[in-house]
Amino acid sequence: MSSVAAAPSARSGVPSFLTWRALTILVTASAVLGPLSLIFYQSFLTAPFFDPTKTVGIGAYQFIFADSDFWHALKNSVLIAAGMTVIAVPLGSLLAFVMERTDLPGKRWFEPLILVPSFVSPMVLSFGFVVAAGPVGFYTVWSQDLFGIAPWGINSLLAMTVIAGLTHVPNVYVYASAALKSLGSDVEEAARSAGASPFRVAISVSLPLIMPSMLFAAVLVFFLGFELFGLPLVLGDPEGILVLSTYLYKLTNKLGTPSYHLMAAVAICIVAITFPLVLLQRKLLQGARKYATIKGKAGRMKELPLGKWTWLALALLVFYLFVTVIVPVSGITLRAFVTNWGFGVNLFDAFTLDSFRAVFEETTHKRAIINTILIGTVGGALTVACYTAIGFATHRRDDGWSRFVDYLVLVPRAVPGLLAGLAFLWVFLFFPPLTPLRTTIFSMWIAYTVVWLAYGMRLISSSLMQVSPELEEAARSVGAGRGTISRQITLPLIRPGLIGSWLLVFMIFEREYSTGVYLLAPGTEVIGAQLVSLWQGGAIDIVAALSLINIVLVGIGLAIALRLGVKLRD
Amino acid sequence: MKTWLKTAIGALALVPAAAIAQVPAGYPADYAQTIAAAKKEGKVVIYSALDTKAASPLIKDFSALYPDVKVEYNDMNSTELYNRFIAEVASGQGSADVMWSSAMDLQVKLVDDGQALAYKSPEVAKLPGWSVYKNQAYGTTYEPAVFIYNKRLVSADEVPADHAAFAKLINTKVDKFKGKVTTYDIEKSGVGFMFVVQDTKYFPAMKDIEKGFGATSYRVYSSTGNMLEKVSSGEHLLGYNVLGSYALVRAKKDPNLGVQLPKDYTLVLSRVMFIGKSAKNPNAAKLWVDYILSQRGQKLIGSDVELFSIRDDVDAEYTAAKLNKQMGGTVKPIPVSAEITQMLDSKKRLEFLGAWKAAVAAGGAK
Amino acid sequence: MAAELTVENLHLTYGDNPILKGVSMQLNQGEVVSLLGPSGSGKTTLLRAVAGLEVPHKGTIKIGDKVIFDGASGLDVPAEARNLGLVFQSYALWPHKTVADNVAFGLKLRKIPAAEIATRVKKALEELSLGHLMQRYPHQLSGGQQQRVAIARALVYNPPVILMDEPLSNLDAKLREEARAWLRELIVEMQLSALVVTHDQSESLAMSDRILLLNNGVIEQQGTPQEMYNVPQTLFTADFMGSNNRLVGKIAQLQDGKALLEGEGWKLWGRARPSAKSGAQGTGMIRLERVKVAQGPGENRVQPELTTSMFLGDKWEHIFHLGETLLRAHSATPLERGKHWVELPREDLWVF
Repeated sequence: MSSVAAAPSARSGVPSFLTWRALTILVTASAVLGPLSLIFYQSFLTAPFFDPTKTVGIGAYQFIFADSDFWHALKNSVLIAAGMTVIAVPLGSLLAFVMERTDLPGKRWFEPLILVPSFVSPMVLSFGFVVAAGPVGFYTVWSQDLFGIAPWGINSLLAMTVIAGLTHVPNVYVYASAALKSLGSDVEEAARSAGASPFRVAISVSLPLIMPSMLFAAVLVFFLGFELFGLPLVLGDPEGILVLSTYLYKLTNKLGTPSYHLMAAVAICIVAITFPLVLLQRKLLQGARKYATIKGKAGRMKELPLGKWTWLALALLVFYLFVTVIVPVSGITLRAFVTNWGFGVNLFDAFTLDSFRAVFEETTHKRAIINTILIGTVGGALTVACYTAIGFATHRRDDGWSRFVDYLVLVPRAVPGLLAGLAFLWVFLFFPPLTPLRTTIFSMWIAYTVVWLAYGMRLISSSLMQVSPELEEAARSVGAGRGTISRQITLPLIRPGLIGSWLLVFMIFEREYSTGVYLLAPGTEVIGAQLVSLWQGGAIDIVAALSLINIVLVGIGLAIALRLGVKLRD
Repeated sequence: MKTWLKTAIGALALVPAAAIAQVPAGYPADYAQTIAAAKKEGKVVIYSALDTKAASPLIKDFSALYPDVKVEYNDMNSTELYNRFIAEVASGQGSADVMWSSAMDLQVKLVDDGQALAYKSPEVAKLPGWSVYKNQAYGTTYEPAVFIYNKRLVSADEVPADHAAFAKLINTKVDKFKGKVTTYDIEKSGVGFMFVVQDTKYFPAMKDIEKGFGATSYRVYSSTGNMLEKVSSGEHLLGYNVLGSYALVRAKKDPNLGVQLPKDYTLVLSRVMFIGKSAKNPNAAKLWVDYILSQRGQKLIGSDVELFSIRDDVDAEYTAAKLNKQMGGTVKPIPVSAEITQMLDSKKRLEFLGAWKAAVAAGGAK
Repeated sequence: MAAELTVENLHLTYGDNPILKGVSMQLNQGEVVSLLGPSGSGKTTLLRAVAGLEVPHKGTIKIGDKVIFDGASGLDVPAEARNLGLVFQSYALWPHKTVADNVAFGLKLRKIPAAEIATRVKKALEELSLGHLMQRYPHQLSGGQQQRVAIARALVYNPPVILMDEPLSNLDAKLREEARAWLRELIVEMQLSALVVTHDQSESLAMSDRILLLNNGVIEQQGTPQEMYNVPQTLFTADFMGSNNRLVGKIAQLQDGKALLEGEGWKLWGRARPSAKSGAQGTGMIRLERVKVAQGPGENRVQPELTTSMFLGDKWEHIFHLGETLLRAHSATPLERGKHWVELPREDLWVF
């Protein structure tokens, strides 16, 4: 019998997988819990935490609970959140049904378009709505000229709710269509042969079967309602319609001097609402996934013929795309190329490239564009690397630490970007080792990476799930340790998934705006946050030009993603 | 002659002077030391509420005057200016050398908190008394608060000449102006807040205007740009207490925008500048402050920069002197003094805001 | 000499679910042992426990003299240190590595010099007729070729025991018969000790030196293929190991290892198995191929009704009904409808 080669011994000198795992978890925990604890601490002080006159107390909470504006904002937030859920869930599910299960023509072209609102910055979209459909918007003016009336207003609570609902349809669509994909077509065919129209089939058969996914999507959209910032800022502030995030933003200057303690108290109130919602989402998502695998038999699906309903479905689809995508984007595009607008202004006379010239002449704007590109490309790659490291730390290890990390990544999800940015500002200011980073784009990058942790982890773990456990077990059986497996087996196999994740992260970062608001400083400008500041300052031309540039950047990312066949949904 | 001598001395002293920096006329001789020290420092960090594009003529001219002093100009809104400054100072990080903001009250507060370097500018004698505070903070501009209106849609006889007329207009012609009157969001805009506080001083019937705002469901913004844009486009028809420097500049090019300086009294805002006590480049900062207050700097402020110059002895398009002449004695500049920091007290401020909102709501309830 | 692999009293639970409830076995050098059983019996779990991919909570596992798992002391040598060869049902070839790299990986981990790796990999692949495919990628290979690469990968570092999980179930039915012959030959030629999991009893009969039949987490019976097939100790074993007719009745008499089974309208003598008790209900089992179609009445014969016949190519299968009982039998020629005499020889009828 030939000699038996011994099993490979553990390598000495190289830190073991466990040490590296511990380090990853430690860093992640600090990055997530650090800023949040600072906000928590600040909320129980009576002055900014660096103010020598501060004392501990609940004065901040007392103030905001006694402020009628707070309750107003809370009420509005709840109303908008509920309203947009009521709009987005049925519409998103219906669109998903039409796209997944029927023979609607031109589906391949429609799908990416439906997802567009989720990739355009809400700041840009809101601005687009103002410019396109506001009281002197392009469409309003044209409608007045052509039809004599323009019966819509965009500055009301109702309008904000409708726009918010429409722009969140993609969130519902993604989950509803994934669930519909996993249904077998036999249940629907049975209904058709019994005489039900496609619409009837949708309502009575398909949609009830995907109820768990729809429930999850409903909770998700409701939750997102509390995170709205750009939309209420642009549409609501002039009317004095406040939501929690804009109320918080207003507190920045309400008392004349910074009231960080008040802002922190509002922040904690927001998190108190959003964190349970995040936990609920997680539970529902697990339920939905379980349900989907039970229903598993996703065989060759026969499409339901729409017949005479085709025109209605097409009309619905086109109407949705028109209102949600075409109107705002065309508004911005037009605004970027004209000098002024309004009643009685001829657009062709007003054509100009001045807005763009102004953008490219101004250092801060140029820097914003470059920074935005950098943070999406280089930053995005680094971010995906970090997420992958965390993914490996929890991959296939179902112990207490993995569960801890699971919940840990949910925390930043519950904190609105606006606050996360503020908390990071404080961390950078007052934590000496990090201070030199504050005026660099790196500070923005860390905040972005932490804020989007939950989303990124979902992307990474879905890539990791694709790797059959047997491939890793086979490596173990020939003698590979955990670290070797991660590097030489799992990592090469998830590379396509990582590239897809990078593209998605790129688009998310391009679209980000609220996280950077408080971190905005000379050197850390990014387009999104700069748009907020410019909007406040009223430089509408620049806002339009920058918004268009932002859309183009996201569009490039989207085009590449589609080209590479990246799945745009998680 | 003197210049060449100085250069020779400088060269002999082996100071690496790349160019000739003169002591400005009328300045004490030892100012040369300040200039030399500033050269060594090499840069001045400015936090300012005036956007970079508007300030660029000043930056360019200053750089021509003192080529060795690089200007690091950071623009941000006045709230951020204040927040950033105090946070950076508290964290011991070092902050701006020069603070230049339209939030006069916050600037004065910072001086009262001991954050300003005591520095008597050589230009002090040429400045009006109300604009200098403890020789630490200086008013630098003279910007009126004006009414604006849309020329196409508001008839000439409707345009309010003074505050009483404004109140009357929006309280009587409610239907025409419903949703079309705009002013600053005084909860968000420190400047807007300061203006209306001063209004209550000079216009006892201010409540009428507040009621009118309520009746016409006024729209509020935190920025001048927004208001100008909306009145010009016709989305809004009237604007109240808009910063006149921006308005007049825009009105020059924009045929839709009309500007009216109120005849009973016109409030004037002066951007306040001071040198940070813990400034890393105090001498460079002094150069900048003196430059802004000098005739040369003020001339640019009154022309290319299109704010109003505060000095009387300046010949430019927009000067305090011209404004005073135009309006007679009714111009009321907001003083750079401790008086304006009273409303920073949270309790008083909230009381004022509460009363304002109540008056507006009462007007809207009809 | 110590057995290559010794498992003693292994217990393994998933959450609240006990999978292995006390399994003991031995694998000697050069033996091929099959772990046979229905799904859920624990056979794959046992294999994975030996490999180190599942962790039992009680019992011991030894490779040669070395203990690699001991529930009592908490010793659990990790899978990557056990030096066993494992071939997966799905082959689990790494898609991003070439065939040569797949096989070489284990040697690289053992820090064997590159030149030696190259020679050994080449030799291993050539022995399995894969020498010309060294630079191909797994997706470019057929199922049979992939299986051989998986085997080469598991053997190249000469582990004392090779573990195989359902090695033939991924192959087409036709290939399966050829492959099981080839696999047995390979193992014997290379003098390997192999533990093979399978659910197919004919496969285990063909390939193994010994068979372990698992039922519900315990070993129901173990023995040579002949023992398992011809001398089943329990009903389960009899039922699992071949195609049977099942007759239910009452055990009227029991003596000298013979039992008389009485059903409705019939009485048959058979060999009593350990579980048979006089006076109790009993089940008779007889292999299909042992049932003979007779010409007339006789000892241990019954007269069922022929309901239908199926032509299977090499023989006919007849479906008889004896009252409620179903009887299947084979014959070379077709039969007419109606009643026929059928003999169930007493040596072949087991009574449990």
